[in-house]
Amino acid sequence: MTVLPEWTVVHEVGSAAELQALAAALAPHLRAADLLVLSGELGAGKTTFTQGLGRGLGVTDRIISPTFVLVRQHAAGGSGPGLVHVDAYRLDGAAAVDDLDLEAGMAANVTVVEWGAGRVEHLSDSWLRVDILRPVGVLQTAATGGPVTAFDDDGEDEVRTVTLAGFGPRWHARQPPLLLD
Amino acid sequence: MMRGEPLVLGIESSCDETGVGIVRGTQLLTNTVSSSMDEHVRFGGVIPEIASRAHLEAFVPTLRTALDDAGVTLEDIDAIAVTAGPGLSGALMVGVSAAKALAVATGKPLYAINHLVAHVGVGMLGGTFADGLPANLGALLVSGGHTEILRIGNIASDVELLGSTIDDAAGEAYDKTARILGLGYPGGPVIDRLAREGNPKAIRFPRGLSQPKYMGTAEEPGPHRYDWSFSGLKTAVARSVEQYEAAGMEVPVADIAASFQEAVVDIITSKAVLACREHGITELLLGGGVAANRRLRELTGERCTAAGITLTVPAPSLCTDNGAMVAALGAQIIMEGRAPSGVSFGTNPSLPVTEIVLASGEDGRA
Repeated sequence: MTVLPEWTVVHEVGSAAELQALAAALAPHLRAADLLVLSGELGAGKTTFTQGLGRGLGVTDRIISPTFVLVRQHAAGGSGPGLVHVDAYRLDGAAAVDDLDLEAGMAANVTVVEWGAGRVEHLSDSWLRVDILRPVGVLQTAATGGPVTAFDDDGEDEVRTVTLAGFGPRWHARQPPLLLD
Repeated sequence: MMRGEPLVLGIESSCDETGVGIVRGTQLLTNTVSSSMDEHVRFGGVIPEIASRAHLEAFVPTLRTALDDAGVTLEDIDAIAVTAGPGLSGALMVGVSAAKALAVATGKPLYAINHLVAHVGVGMLGGTFADGLPANLGALLVSGGHTEILRIGNIASDVELLGSTIDDAAGEAYDKTARILGLGYPGGPVIDRLAREGNPKAIRFPRGLSQPKYMGTAEEPGPHRYDWSFSGLKTAVARSVEQYEAAGMEVPVADIAASFQEAVVDIITSKAVLACREHGITELLLGGGVAANRRLRELTGERCTAAGITLTVPAPSLCTDNGAMVAALGAQIIMEGRAPSGVSFGTNPSLPVTEIVLASGEDGRA
């Protein structure tokens, strides 16, 4: 059965900092028990997005990649929800996801799962899908006319398209109005 | 209870190596390791379930081999030390459960210790430092799960985190870059090898957190003066590969590998040496699996020499995860007179480096 989103919205961001700002702007529209499913290739910015989300949620911990330990739990900064940050890349299907026992922590946290598409949607009747795409196949050329061989230290040149889609009753008629400056 | 130097059994299971080591004080008696690395290769990374199962199967044989090799019995042992974190939750649980069972069965005191600090503990073994840990000591730990610079005042009681990665660990950046380049897992050795054939200056990849707004000055440090970031580097590698593919050009894999490695090693060493200089550190220990990397050892050595810092790199078998380092740190903690952890402590996958040994009933969470 194909599940259709309640709504879909597309945002363009021009740098790593803008990607974090978009995520931080989404944070106030989230509440405990929300599930975010992040997709995007290596280097798309999934952890960078989650860092912005953590900042928006007021999480004071440093949000580092969950790849090594698979799950990182970050306590809430104030009265809001905490953040559970998961890397599901190495989890082979729903059974391996269930071994992590994410459900135990979902009620009190916003749960963000990188590489989660097709692996974690069964954890909730509603979820927010976040697809981060970098323009691929567009030839970038340096001033010399050849391929770019110098990259900015701060990701000031990282352009991305972020597609948010709300699935399930939680997101019915609740598209977060994201105002970015 | 103990006289002279304690005979300590150390147990390590935080990732994919099941390690049992035995030391008497600072004397290494055995360092027995069983690795499940081969089982993880086809998945492109350590699979927790497989690692946990492998620890379970390997533990008793590894323990037996270690006792035989050291020529001691469980009755001879004065104390047991075990890694309580940081690491993979399920993997830690196996070593800790085994250690608790041994402690209960033998009545020996049990110490729950910090894996990262244990990496520094190897400095006391195998003649790494002939006269014990020197004063003004720092440690640069670089592995698949960690990238940290530490100041060690006293290994049993005073360890300070000066800087760490804010996203990927360095070894993780190698693994992910190797995945982008289609080079398989683990990424470190293959990229190091390919890098020799490439031009490290062909592509200028990002040095994360190197700009003034992050660095600040020695007097007024910025928010990430001694921290690292490798996520922008990973993105740049992906973009670099894609543009050659989009243009129908051959991807210069060796040049990308060499330029990537140069970016990683350059920023790791420059920030580590800066942290040492600004904290009066004159002796630096390089540890963790990535310490085996040829270019990292080379450039760290050059820059330490230039800054008047003595660099020490333990033998490779002591750099990677092992039980001897756990035993060595345990012995120091015992000789400092710290209390045992009992059997009611918990594991902590994110155990902070300031928690060197857990107290009874604790798991090191604030």
